[in-house]
Amino acid sequence: MSTVAIPGVERVLFTEEQIEHRIREVASEISRNYEGRSIKLVGVLKGSIFFLTALARYIEIPLKIDFLGISSFSNRSGAPGIVRIAKDLDDGIEGEDVLLVEDIVDTGLTLRYLLQTLSGRAPNSLSVCTFLDRNSRRLVQVPVDYRCFEIPDRFVVGFGLDYNQLYRNLTYVAVMKPEKNS
Amino acid sequence: MALIAVSGHPGCRFEEVARLTSQRLGFELLTQSRIRVLTEEEFGAGYEIPDKAYPNLVTSILARLATSHHLVYCAVGGELQPRHFPGALRVHVVAPENVRVGNVMLDNRLERPAARQLLLEMEAAERSARKAKFGKTKATADLFDLVLNAESLTTEQMSELIATTSGAVGLTERGYLSAAAEAQLQFQMRLGLARHGIVPPDKITLRKKVFANNSEEMFANLLDFYRIAWDYEPRSFPVQYDRDGNVHEAFTPDFYLPELDLYVELTTMKQSLVTKKNRKVRLLRELYPHLNIQVFYQKDFENLVFKYGLAAQPVQA
Repeated sequence: MSTVAIPGVERVLFTEEQIEHRIREVASEISRNYEGRSIKLVGVLKGSIFFLTALARYIEIPLKIDFLGISSFSNRSGAPGIVRIAKDLDDGIEGEDVLLVEDIVDTGLTLRYLLQTLSGRAPNSLSVCTFLDRNSRRLVQVPVDYRCFEIPDRFVVGFGLDYNQLYRNLTYVAVMKPEKNS
Repeated sequence: MALIAVSGHPGCRFEEVARLTSQRLGFELLTQSRIRVLTEEEFGAGYEIPDKAYPNLVTSILARLATSHHLVYCAVGGELQPRHFPGALRVHVVAPENVRVGNVMLDNRLERPAARQLLLEMEAAERSARKAKFGKTKATADLFDLVLNAESLTTEQMSELIATTSGAVGLTERGYLSAAAEAQLQFQMRLGLARHGIVPPDKITLRKKVFANNSEEMFANLLDFYRIAWDYEPRSFPVQYDRDGNVHEAFTPDFYLPELDLYVELTTMKQSLVTKKNRKVRLLRELYPHLNIQVFYQKDFENLVFKYGLAAQPVQA
């Protein structure tokens, strides 16, 4: 894919083919590591949906799926509030091998909160699989067990990642055209 | 004055409850690390306070600050300090072992069995510290006004309950500690401290958190949102000395995140000034290689801000 027609998108970072190939690799690594067991994939809404469904298709062990969502930070109305679960899991995870599936791990702040929340629910194990890992902005060192791609410090969209809620449905990952600083 | 003492079982993150409560009520938060910093500022770094002198020293510091602040005090044995103060609420946070093991597992990146072992060690250390400082190994429920269970209550709910209780017992309507009451307390504490050869602090003051710019305030709000404890510019590090050994240049990182043992510097300034800042950071890393510091440059920060919906567009990398 040499040109990108969508306005605001600068260039493709990972093509659909590259993504599929890498997800297959990660899925088979997960299948090997959890051989003989079943896992529960917990997706974080909304960004991880595309990745989770693609990943689940290539995992070759029995699995369950659940989702959770967290409140978003906004400083616009003054007090920022506190992070909380906006949509909780439908079922408990006690005694289960849980794989938390993220679209991107950035500062690690969200992941830290989610891991803290889920670890208190007594899962048998708790691991993390992320589609993208942007390590350059990491504030909190969080354990990432599986990652598809490490990315540079650029704003990316596609395959679940949005720009003002748009572009999640792109089948590839693209870098957004940056605003010129004055 | 109002003093809310928050303590809890190891691994149940009572520190978060204390921090959120202080924010909710607009009280000043005094953690064990903050007490240490205040003590170091007064006595110099590396000054060892004997365990037996600790309660008197903390009371002395609390009394000094209580003349101009309402306080949330968060430390082991915190419930034993308020007996000296007229308006106090003693809060204890508990949680079942499962929950606490989970927290330790995450905080220390351990498997469950190792986390359980570490929790046992933390409990032993807490008992021993409590015994050394206060002469008791356990905090029984009758020492508290409010006991909260972190298994069924979120941090936010617990802080709300504390705030409601504070209102119900009239804590929030109290004035600050009077100068006369403080003088009387200081006299008692000085007597106790004198036995250990310690002159209690006279000059303790709390710096108000006035941020240098909006970015810093926004960053602080972001940390609050994620319940990450922070201190604003708590420490300066000398990075250059003159020939006589006097500090010629120092570097003060914007934030310190005690839970993560991480300093954060926000560099949201002109590129011409970034070079100077980079040099300081490089010197800091050379002179203090053990320090964990993360620098956020303008583009990093603005993209972070964009991610959280606070800016219209991402910026040029």
